[in-house]
Amino acid sequence: MSAPAIEMRGVVKDYGRTHALRGIDLTVDAGRIFGFLGPNGAGKTTAIRLLLDLIRPNAGTARVLGFDSQRQSIDVRRRVGYMPGDLRLYDNMAGSDFLDLIDSFRPEKRDVRYRAELLDRLGLDTSRRIRALSKGNRQKLGIVQAMMHRPEVLILDEPTSGLDPLVQEEVAKLLEDAVRDGRTVFFSSHVLPEVERLSQSVAIIREGLIVAVEDIAKLKARSAHVLEVTFASAPPADLFALPGVRELRRDGNMVHLQARGGVDAVIKAMAGSGCKVVDLRTEQPSLEDVFLAYYAGSTDGRAPAGAQKEHTHAPA
Amino acid sequence: MPPLSIAVKSLRDQKWQIAGFGLALTAMAAMHVYIWPAYRDTLQNLKLPAAVEAFFGGDLSIATGAGFMSAEFFSWVPILLIVYAVIQGTGAIAGEESSGTMDLLLSQPLGRRALVLQKIAAACVGSVLIVAIGWLGFLVSVPFVDIDVALTDTAIASANMLPITLLFFSMSLWLGAVMPNRSTASGAVIGLATASYFINTLANGVEPLRHLRYGTPFYYYGAGLPLVDGIDWPHVGLLLAASLLLMLLTLRTFGQRDVTTGGATDLDAAGVLRRVLARSPGG
Repeated sequence: MSAPAIEMRGVVKDYGRTHALRGIDLTVDAGRIFGFLGPNGAGKTTAIRLLLDLIRPNAGTARVLGFDSQRQSIDVRRRVGYMPGDLRLYDNMAGSDFLDLIDSFRPEKRDVRYRAELLDRLGLDTSRRIRALSKGNRQKLGIVQAMMHRPEVLILDEPTSGLDPLVQEEVAKLLEDAVRDGRTVFFSSHVLPEVERLSQSVAIIREGLIVAVEDIAKLKARSAHVLEVTFASAPPADLFALPGVRELRRDGNMVHLQARGGVDAVIKAMAGSGCKVVDLRTEQPSLEDVFLAYYAGSTDGRAPAGAQKEHTHAPA
Repeated sequence: MPPLSIAVKSLRDQKWQIAGFGLALTAMAAMHVYIWPAYRDTLQNLKLPAAVEAFFGGDLSIATGAGFMSAEFFSWVPILLIVYAVIQGTGAIAGEESSGTMDLLLSQPLGRRALVLQKIAAACVGSVLIVAIGWLGFLVSVPFVDIDVALTDTAIASANMLPITLLFFSMSLWLGAVMPNRSTASGAVIGLATASYFINTLANGVEPLRHLRYGTPFYYYGAGLPLVDGIDWPHVGLLLAASLLLMLLTLRTFGQRDVTTGGATDLDAAGVLRRVLARSPGG
């Protein structure tokens, strides 16, 4: 049996008196796209930097492909492509020189053709100095340097932030190709739709603890949809008295709803009512909604109020 | 053996510094040799108070070619080399962290020790190149001027500037590994270098303070003395040993502590002490 791509056991990381990670347990099976979802300051970057031995845990162990992150760090890093969340590059280097530098650390894995393909698919010109690149193009360069040696595990910290939707879509395809090739992708995000779009599984981290590990389909089912329906005339007061549906408020003929477990019942109720629907909008459930969904069902009694609270001490 | 990309990149990054510092030394060296004949007559008739002479030339008479070169060139030119050493030393670790690029380097299959050693190697090569370029100033002047200094002795005295450069480089490297960021590390080394330079100069001229100079690297450096006496190996050994110690401390501290992105801005005195003592994990 092969080792999991990533395995963290009881990982604790303190910065002075602040607790960035409070006992992380996480297993990421190889060959999947795994999302690491949490608000800013929840500990995502801390956990990721720990996998690469950039920081050391106060307790617990982290393994990548069975190699200990700390004691066998070089073995880990030989097999990992990493893109930092706070991506800083050498501004005075040309893009291609920078990629050559990164390639020089793994000469045996240099693959000029694949590198060219990545650059082509992302539409990135590497002849210019990095200083002259836009934020989006720097981000692309970060993705290319992480992927170009075809690492077994890709660890990407907020990979698509700052990219326009078309490029995000291309990055998604690149990651899907990588997984089809048998590689593992572990990426962090604080944006739920991105995680839903890209990943097959997700771990949700909040205030230094993993609060849930789920398949994306289940996550979607649990999270609430917010709907805004405008009718031609005032609808019956009890129209949305349905299981799992909560009417938030009414503004004249407009009704704000929250529907848990899908929108099917709401649509059918509207169709059956005979009322004329003028407009229908849905909003993506926010990260906050997802947390609420989890805390609503959690038994440890912890209040969900702080779900978006920032930990200013932890590296973002 | 890991690829030497870091050393190569590091040297490439400092090519203009090497050229700049090197040519500055060349100009200073040649200029001082060429003005010597004009000063000689004046100085030979001049009887300076012992303290003033000591202030200028340490243990050599300023009225000799060697004394003049010692006072006017070798006594303070290491300051330029120390500026270079501070730039390189604090840049190696603290600089990469402050600019946030250390994460990228250390996510490659490259050990922290290998990274630091390659940076040290680059700085050593850089210092040697600067001093060698600087010595060209003697090469184009000494053979053409009536000065009682041998060209080979200028080479020896030039090379003698390297150990003190290495010491301040190592100090910068180590402080860059323990201080919160590059600017505090630079400030600390520049403070230490300035203080020890003046203490040494003062102690040379003021008898009651004479023993103080044994505490400064500049005493062991010896300015222009190698022009006359050759290299003082015990002193060179002492400077190199201190450098080696600081390098080992750096490897230990940086090997154990967390890597920071943008510097450890919230590191307090206790955090610095933890780094000095290499207590992992933290800071």
